[in-house]
Amino acid sequence: MSWFIVKRLASLVPILLGISIITFILLHLIPGDPAVAYLRLSNIPPTDVAVAELRLKLGLDNPLHIQYFEWLGKVIQLDLGMSYVSKNTVWDEILLHLIPTIQLTMTALFFIVVISLPIGVISAIYKGKWIDQFSRIIAYVSVSMPTFWFGFLVIFFLSVKLDLFPVLGRGTLAHLILPSLTLAFGYIGTYIRLLRASMLENLNEPFVVYAKARGLRQRQIISRHVLKKSILPVVTGLGMSFGNMLGGAVIVETIFAWPGMGQLFVSSILNQDYPMIQGCVLFMSVIFVICNLLVDVTYSFLDPRIRLEGGK
Amino acid sequence: MFIKQSKILRNFLVLLVILASFITGCSNKATEQDNASVKDQSKVVTFSMTGDIGDLNPHTYFPNEFFSQAMVYESLVYYGKGGEIQPWLAESWDISKDGKEYVFHLRKDVEFSDDSKFNAAIVKKNFDTILDNRKQHEWVELINQIKNTEALDEYTFKLTLNNSYYPTLQELTYIRPLRFVGEAAFPDSQDTFKDGLKSQIGTGPWVLSEYKKNEFAVFTRNEKYWGTKPKVDKVVVKVITDGESRVLAFEKNELDFIFGNGVISQDSFQFLKDSGKYETKLSEPTATRTLLFNTNKEATKDHKVRLALNYAFNKQAVIDNIFYGMEKKADTLFPPVLEYTKIDINPYDYDVARAEQLLDEAGWKKVEGKPFREKDGKELQLEFLFNSTDNIQKSIAEFVQGDYRKLGIDIKLTSQETNTFWTTAFQGNYDILFTSTWAVPFDPHSYLASITTDSENGGPDYTALLGLPEKKEIDEKIKKVLLTTDEKERKMLYTDILSTLHDRAVYLPISYQSNVAVYHKNISGLDFLPQEAEVPLTTIDVE
Repeated sequence: MSWFIVKRLASLVPILLGISIITFILLHLIPGDPAVAYLRLSNIPPTDVAVAELRLKLGLDNPLHIQYFEWLGKVIQLDLGMSYVSKNTVWDEILLHLIPTIQLTMTALFFIVVISLPIGVISAIYKGKWIDQFSRIIAYVSVSMPTFWFGFLVIFFLSVKLDLFPVLGRGTLAHLILPSLTLAFGYIGTYIRLLRASMLENLNEPFVVYAKARGLRQRQIISRHVLKKSILPVVTGLGMSFGNMLGGAVIVETIFAWPGMGQLFVSSILNQDYPMIQGCVLFMSVIFVICNLLVDVTYSFLDPRIRLEGGK
Repeated sequence: MFIKQSKILRNFLVLLVILASFITGCSNKATEQDNASVKDQSKVVTFSMTGDIGDLNPHTYFPNEFFSQAMVYESLVYYGKGGEIQPWLAESWDISKDGKEYVFHLRKDVEFSDDSKFNAAIVKKNFDTILDNRKQHEWVELINQIKNTEALDEYTFKLTLNNSYYPTLQELTYIRPLRFVGEAAFPDSQDTFKDGLKSQIGTGPWVLSEYKKNEFAVFTRNEKYWGTKPKVDKVVVKVITDGESRVLAFEKNELDFIFGNGVISQDSFQFLKDSGKYETKLSEPTATRTLLFNTNKEATKDHKVRLALNYAFNKQAVIDNIFYGMEKKADTLFPPVLEYTKIDINPYDYDVARAEQLLDEAGWKKVEGKPFREKDGKELQLEFLFNSTDNIQKSIAEFVQGDYRKLGIDIKLTSQETNTFWTTAFQGNYDILFTSTWAVPFDPHSYLASITTDSENGGPDYTALLGLPEKKEIDEKIKKVLLTTDEKERKMLYTDILSTLHDRAVYLPISYQSNVAVYHKNISGLDFLPQEAEVPLTTIDVE
C-alpha cells in the first residue's frame, strides 16, 4: 500500500510542473501589463518612467523562461509573492479565505452524502415505484435549477419567512446550513442517479444471485455486497466535486456574503491582481491534484485489484 | 474485510460531521459572542456596503471606502448644505487679499482617539506627508497649488498657494486625502502613502473597534469626540456584494437600513417602497448619469451626428421603464442645484424626425433593403462601451441599442469589467461611453478640471474631447475659472464653458442620480448629508 502511495506521489511531480508552466504562461498571455496593474492598484500614475522602473524591479524585462524559473524557485520555497491590492502575502490571503471555504465545502459534502446516498439506494431497490419517480424529480430539479435561484429561494422561505436560519455572513453553525445546502444541492441529483445506476448494474451481477442462493437476506445483500461495490464511482465523484467546490463556489459565496476562495479568485481577476491570480490558480490546482490522489488511495483501499495492479 | 470497509464509510461520515463542526466551532465563535453582547447591552445599528473598508487610511485610495474614511477622519472645514463651507477642525480662517494665503485658527478642544492633541504641528505633518506624494494626488488641484505649509503657533496653521485658487476651501472638505491622522499612526518612514498607517487614529466621531476582513467592521462611538456625539453606541458594517442578498438581509432584520447609490436595484427599491412596511427616501440629485461621445472617431466627430444621437434618445422612457420614475431627467451636464451650474440652454428634447434629418445632413443615409445607414459605402456602426458590473448601465445600453436601431444606427455593445473598462475608456477606444459626473463637492470644478488633463486620476473626458476644434479654448477657460478671484467673471466663465459643452453636444446627460435610503420604522435621523459618500451615522437613532 505504501509503495502504491509513493508511486502516486511521484507521478504528481510532472503534473504539478505542468500546472505551474500553464499557470505562468496563461497569465502572461492575457492582455494587460502587471506593472501597470500594480501601479494603478497602488494609486500611482503609471507613467512611462514608473512602469519602466517597476518592470525592472519585478524582472518583467527578462526573457519569459528566466521569469518562469525565478518564479518557480520562489514557489518551491512557498513564496507566492505579495497581493497588489492588500499588500499582504498571497499565502496570508489564501489562508484567510481557505478556512471559510473548507467549512462550506465540508458541510456541503456532508449534505451530499447524507441526502444522496439513502435516496440513491432506495430508488434502486424500488426501481419504477413511486419513490423512484420521486427521486428522479429531485435529481432533475437539482441539476437543472440554477444555484443562485435555489439560494435565494432557501433564503426567502427558510430565513425571511420561517425565520429558521440567518440570511448572511459567517458565525454559528446556523450560518453554515443554507450556503452549504445551496452548494450541495446542485450535486445531490448527480449522485442520486450515479448511485442508482451503479446499484442497478450490480444488482444483476452473478455474485448477487449467488448470495441469494446462499440464503442471505435482501438487506444483507444490499448493504454488505452491492453497496460496497456500487459506492466506488461515487467516491471518485466526491473527490472531484470536493476540488470543484473549493474553488467554484463563487455564486454561493456572493449570495451568502461568504468570504471564501471563490470571492478571492474573482476579485483578484477583476482587480488584475496578478500574483494573487497566479497563487490562487496554482493552489487550487494542487488541491485538485491532491484530492485526486486521495480518491485513488481510497479507491485502492476499497477495491484491492487497483492497488495490486498499481503495485506491480 | 467487508466489515472493515462498511466501517470506513461510517467513519468517513462521522469524520465529516466532526470536522465541519470543529471548524465552525473554533473559527468565529468569539466574534459572534462579541456581536451578541454588543446587541444586548447597547444601541447598535447595522448596515452593509459592497466592499471591505480597506486599511482605513485617509491619505490613500483603493481599496479604502469613502464612507469609512469619513467616519474616522475629519477635515479643517465641512461641506454643509447647499455647498456652504462651515468651520470644522478649524473654527475660523482668514484669507489674504490676493487669495494666496489661508490662515486657519484650529479648535483647541480636539483630541485624537489615542488622547493625543490635535494642533497645528500635526496638521502640518499630515499636509507635508501628502505633499511628499504630490504626483499621486494631482487630481486635487489644490495640492498642485500649495507652495508652503506653516504652523504659526500651537493652534494656527498657514497655507500658502502659488496662485489664488477659489475652490481651496471646497477641496479641503474632500474625504480624502486632506484629512488628519494622529502622530502615533505614522509609520517609521513617516510616509503614510507608501507604507500605510500603524493604526487608525483620527479625530472623528467613530473608532474602529473590531474588524474581520471581507466580513464586517465594527465602529464604536468616540466618547471623547469634540462635536455632537452619535446617538448610537456602535455601528456594524457588513460586507455584502450582492444587492438582492442585501434586500433579503434587510427584510430579515439583519440590517437596520440600506443606504447609498446603486446598492440595490431600482426594482428592489420599488418593491420595498410598495410593501409599505419600511420607510424609503430619495436624496436630491447628486451627480449626472451621462453618455460621452468620442470626438476623435469617424462618425461621432461630426457635430450633426452627436446632435442626432441627443435628439434620438428617449430619456423619459428610460426614466419611466428603467428607473421607475425615481430619477429626474437631465438636460445639463451637472444638476442645476449646484453652484454655478444653473445655465439657460435649449434642451435636446426627444425628436426622432429631427435626428433623422441631422443624420441625412451628415451624409449617413438610409439604404433600400439594408437595416443601417451608410456613408460612402460604410455602415453607421458605433461602439458603446459600458461597465459590465453595473446593471443600470447594461439596461440602458440595451435600450439604446434597440432605440437607435430604429433610426438605422448599429450599436455594438462592449461590456468590460471595471479595470479593463477604465483602461479602454482612457485610451479612447469607443464611440460612446457610459460615465457619470463626480457629485458634490467635486462637481463642477474638479470634474471640469479633469477635462483639461490626461492624469490617470482624472477622467476619460480629456481624450474624448480632443477632436473638438474648441478644446484648447475650453481648457483655457476652465483653468481661468479656477484661478479668478472675480465672482462675476467666474459665473460668466462657468456659464460659457457649460453652454459650449452643451452646444457641441459631446455629452448626452440622461438623468440626475440620487442616493436611496430604506430603513425600518424604528430607525430615525436618517437624513442625507451634502456629500454623496457620507452616511448619516451621527444623527441616526434606533428605538
